Amino acid sequence: MQLHAITLFFLSLWLQPSSALHESDAGVVDWHKSFVGVPNIDTKHTAPTFHEASQQSVLLTATRSNALAALNPLTGSVEWRYVFDPQDNVVTYQKQGSVVASLSGPGGANLRSFNVFNGEMLLEKSLHRPNTGLLIQPNSLGTYIAFGKQTREIYTLTNGRTVNLVNGSDISWTWTAEEQGSQVLYSALSVTEDALYLVGLEASFASYALHVVALSPTSGQVLSSSTLPSSISNGLDDFLVLPNAIVWLEDGVLKHFTLSPSLKGKVKSQKSASFKKLVDVGLSSHGIFMAYQDDTTDQLISITNGELGVTKKFNPSAQSLYTGQIGKDGQPYITCLSWSPNTQAASAEVHSLEPGALVAEYSLPFDANTHGPVIHVAMDLLTDSRARLFLTTTTGAVQIWEGSQHIWTREEGLSELNAVKFVELPERVSVLGEGLSEEGFVERLLRQAKDAKDLPGYIVHFIRRFATGSYESATSSAIVHPSSVSATQIPFRDAFGFRQVLVSSTAYGKVYGIDTGNGEILWSRTLGTGHERGTKIVPLADKMFVLKNVADVDASSPGTGPEIVLLGDSVTEDSTVKNVLLFHLNALTGQDVIQHSKSDGDLQGSSIASKPIDDAYILELEGHKIVVLIDSQFKVHLYPDNAETHRLFSAATASLSAPLRVTSAQGHRRLVGHQFDKKEIVDASDQEKFEYTAFPTWTFSLPEGHDVQAIVAPIRNPVASLGKVLGNRTTLYKYLNPHLLVVLTAPHSTTVLTPTAHCGLYLVDSVKGSIIYEASLPAEGNACNVKATFAENWLVYHYYDDEYQGSGQAKGYKMVTVELYEGKQVDEKTLSSSLSSYSDKMVEVTAYEQSFIYPHAISAITLTSTKFGITSKDIIVANVNGKIQSISRRLLNPRRPIGRKPSSEEQEEQLIQYDPLLPDDPRKVISHNYDVAHVRSITTSPALLESTSLVFAYGLDLFLTRVAPSNTFDVLNESFNKLQLVLTVMGLAAAIFVTRPMVRRKKLREKWYY
Amino acid sequence: MSTSLQYSSLETTSRWKNLPPPPGFSEASSSSKGNISSKAVATPSTTPEAYDQLKDKRAWDLAISPAKSLPMQFFMLYMSGSGVQIFSMGIIFMLLSSPFKNIAGMNEAFASFAPSASKNPKSLSTLTLQKLAYFACNLLTLGVGLWKCRSMGLLPTGTGDWLAFETRGPAPELSLL
Repeated sequence: MQLHAITLFFLSLWLQPSSALHESDAGVVDWHKSFVGVPNIDTKHTAPTFHEASQQSVLLTATRSNALAALNPLTGSVEWRYVFDPQDNVVTYQKQGSVVASLSGPGGANLRSFNVFNGEMLLEKSLHRPNTGLLIQPNSLGTYIAFGKQTREIYTLTNGRTVNLVNGSDISWTWTAEEQGSQVLYSALSVTEDALYLVGLEASFASYALHVVALSPTSGQVLSSSTLPSSISNGLDDFLVLPNAIVWLEDGVLKHFTLSPSLKGKVKSQKSASFKKLVDVGLSSHGIFMAYQDDTTDQLISITNGELGVTKKFNPSAQSLYTGQIGKDGQPYITCLSWSPNTQAASAEVHSLEPGALVAEYSLPFDANTHGPVIHVAMDLLTDSRARLFLTTTTGAVQIWEGSQHIWTREEGLSELNAVKFVELPERVSVLGEGLSEEGFVERLLRQAKDAKDLPGYIVHFIRRFATGSYESATSSAIVHPSSVSATQIPFRDAFGFRQVLVSSTAYGKVYGIDTGNGEILWSRTLGTGHERGTKIVPLADKMFVLKNVADVDASSPGTGPEIVLLGDSVTEDSTVKNVLLFHLNALTGQDVIQHSKSDGDLQGSSIASKPIDDAYILELEGHKIVVLIDSQFKVHLYPDNAETHRLFSAATASLSAPLRVTSAQGHRRLVGHQFDKKEIVDASDQEKFEYTAFPTWTFSLPEGHDVQAIVAPIRNPVASLGKVLGNRTTLYKYLNPHLLVVLTAPHSTTVLTPTAHCGLYLVDSVKGSIIYEASLPAEGNACNVKATFAENWLVYHYYDDEYQGSGQAKGYKMVTVELYEGKQVDEKTLSSSLSSYSDKMVEVTAYEQSFIYPHAISAITLTSTKFGITSKDIIVANVNGKIQSISRRLLNPRRPIGRKPSSEEQEEQLIQYDPLLPDDPRKVISHNYDVAHVRSITTSPALLESTSLVFAYGLDLFLTRVAPSNTFDVLNESFNKLQLVLTVMGLAAAIFVTRPMVRRKKLREKWYY
Repeated sequence: MSTSLQYSSLETTSRWKNLPPPPGFSEASSSSKGNISSKAVATPSTTPEAYDQLKDKRAWDLAISPAKSLPMQFFMLYMSGSGVQIFSMGIIFMLLSSPFKNIAGMNEAFASFAPSASKNPKSLSTLTLQKLAYFACNLLTLGVGLWKCRSMGLLPTGTGDWLAFETRGPAPELSLL
């Protein structure tokens, strides 16, 4: 016994390092795609711009993923990016020379400045406490950055009322607007040599008036202040601040006021035309801006010597975008990009403001079917007639065009995936000549001879493989090189199934098929908006279902493959959900399965529900998969909607139940269990048809003022063992209730938070509503940030514990592991997995739990999954500091002996002594040196090898790797010396060959002598 | 020719009994000194009763022989340790198989000790007491073997050993999760 334990101990010591990632495997078994996010074009202060300094050009942008990034315009690579914390959202940036400065947080609480070329942080300064920040929408309101003469002088406007001059790392002066009777919200700064003009809107009766304060740039003294006689109805969009003037629209009339330190002057107006909107096209430093007159005319207006003058008139088509830049000759240029959905190209016109007018005109072969319409354009003038354009599209793609030449595309939409599914690939189809039924002997011989043409190659390959032992190993790359003959064939799997298709949809309405071997995009489809304009498709988060996996596919019929069903809301411009569309596509090619619409056009969805849906599920009945949708009126929609699914569903209705999140009249979110009712309807064709509705059966009662925050569905994978065998060979039977789900609750947002506010975690039986396990967890600050994952009978959750009473306890992140077993003691079984939820025995559960200190905050947690569930499961967590880490099941065993050495029986179970701290083992960081930023979710998928699981983490970045929690026990070790084995066997064979005649001769001789 | 001692040659029914003694040997060779010898004073060793007594004694010896070797087997088991290794497995195999072998060949083994009067020396009813003792002693050996198996964890006594054969049906309710 002792000996056995010692052997095990050494074995575990020896195995430990091998579970870490080898340096040679990094980049082979994993890949990492770094993104910056979709450019935030809501305001011009976050929109992408080109910046050129010291002969280098970079593209700067703030993004919706809360990053500030610089892209290389030539290669499309990320020069640098700075990812802000989620609560510290970037609101504005400004650049000058080699410095880019940003404000972030509520009201612009934090100022940072970076080297524009390498992203080195030059300055980080907190201007006010984040909790005193102004919380208004849009976030960028009331913040502004302006540079002084030198790049070390940064004027900041924060909170809409405070101006700071940050010189170097010190604040030279601060000016804060006094609290007046009428609140003025300042929103723009303009720096001149004489004065710093601060422009804001003063709320007055029914409209706003412009208020200007002139400050001394050196001391911050108020030089003068004045409220302009103006009446602005629309707010921020209706005025622009130019270096020496303010222009605004007043009932369609363009007015302007020339700024001077004394703020004396007259408001002038131009009554010649009526305008709708003023737009800064990037030439405001030259006093040039764009005014939209009506649908057919846009005017470029410049201000010279205090007088407004129309510089140019444009007659745009339906969709025109303008961007301006100062050319190398110091002259302003403007580009108009016109695009219409009907044509396959966009046309660009580059204008100089010199009397020469049009400089260049060309068309870009822009593919709107793939990328969606262009919504923003930025220009960099290379030569007088050649412009570099940076396009941002609705699907989140960004592109650079030089002239009419496409340089690169980045699919930044992938930074906002909202549903991901792994789909296994079919085996490579070896195309053999089909035997005809009526072929003669000669024909058949010829055909077979033709089929045998690859035989020599195969034999050579076989011999080489046999002799050198170069088999597929568990750490070999999953990149499969398609044979040169058929380059466009459908993807196929590798030997161990590491190559799969990741079907993923983005919040921008695009679906991608990503190769798990190398992260390349195999196909992508834009979700079509139908034929209606102004609507967009927003795929529902996590509502993607595999309707047919590779085993369900009839291999004999060509053109079929695994199928994916995706649900998307059709959202109108005023963000109301019009109806729910269902997209049914082939996971290998992205082709539409229902309508076989054109492979190059938009993917057209079919409308499945005319009301927003509450929830959608996939249900497997007798081998048929049915997508079940429940709409807000509790009506059930089935897909595929045919007689077979109706028959199956109708047979199962009585035993079916679903927990739904229902928002009560008071705005409280509740969990309500539903069952289904069927009602026969007779339609015109006299067919027997049923209509199904869900009716409530139970409500999950929560403490007063608590809300359901999230529901974590269990990870369903095959269960290899029904129990846990202990060292004395008794059994703890696993509590395998298939209806359990994890419900996370949080205090309702409207309730007054008390210091004793708690978050709740419940394991609820979704059929009966009974609570199997519950925990009350301390709230972090006043937010609940509990992460949990649940599979089989194992629950792991992570929370921040800031409660401590006296010594021996500490604040920190805790990870709790809970295992549920049937009955009260060992060997007691209630057959929970086949028991009715209404049985009394269903609540006879023993929970073993232990709590550990985990040193990091996490943003996502999941479990590995394998094909048969035999391999032990590891916990995979994403730290907030950009690392993906695996935690061994052994460490998270809740039966680890506390305060004593494990007994010999416990050692047989591989239990180790309890240690409150989960070791932060750098060898367990599966993302090694990658910075996987802002991981929102992790999914795992089994490979064909039982030992190995694929792990995919997505957030701002995408990261995929393989893990083998119990080591790769089902493949021969790579260090196994195949050559030596072959040589030994061959040597022995040769020895037999040599010695056999010798032995025979000797035997013969012996017969003579005896 | 077998060199083993044939107790059956002592029997009166033996066909060798009627052969004349070799020349120079008389029936009462050991006691032929003087005239004391007479046919009436028979040597006890040659009478069938005496033979039967002797055989009975021998049969008891055989019956308890498995128990006699137990201390030695205990010692061997102690030396072999509790690990599952080839040596201990060999001993275990011997301990477990020999009782069955012995009991299967019990009637054969006791046939030669059957009393001269018995009609069928190989029947189960002859030497019942000795056979029962023999059976018990073999069970003792088997028990030792099983005890060793148990201490090595080879006996499927716990529920954990039968867990892999347990099955569960599908749940009666379906839930959409």
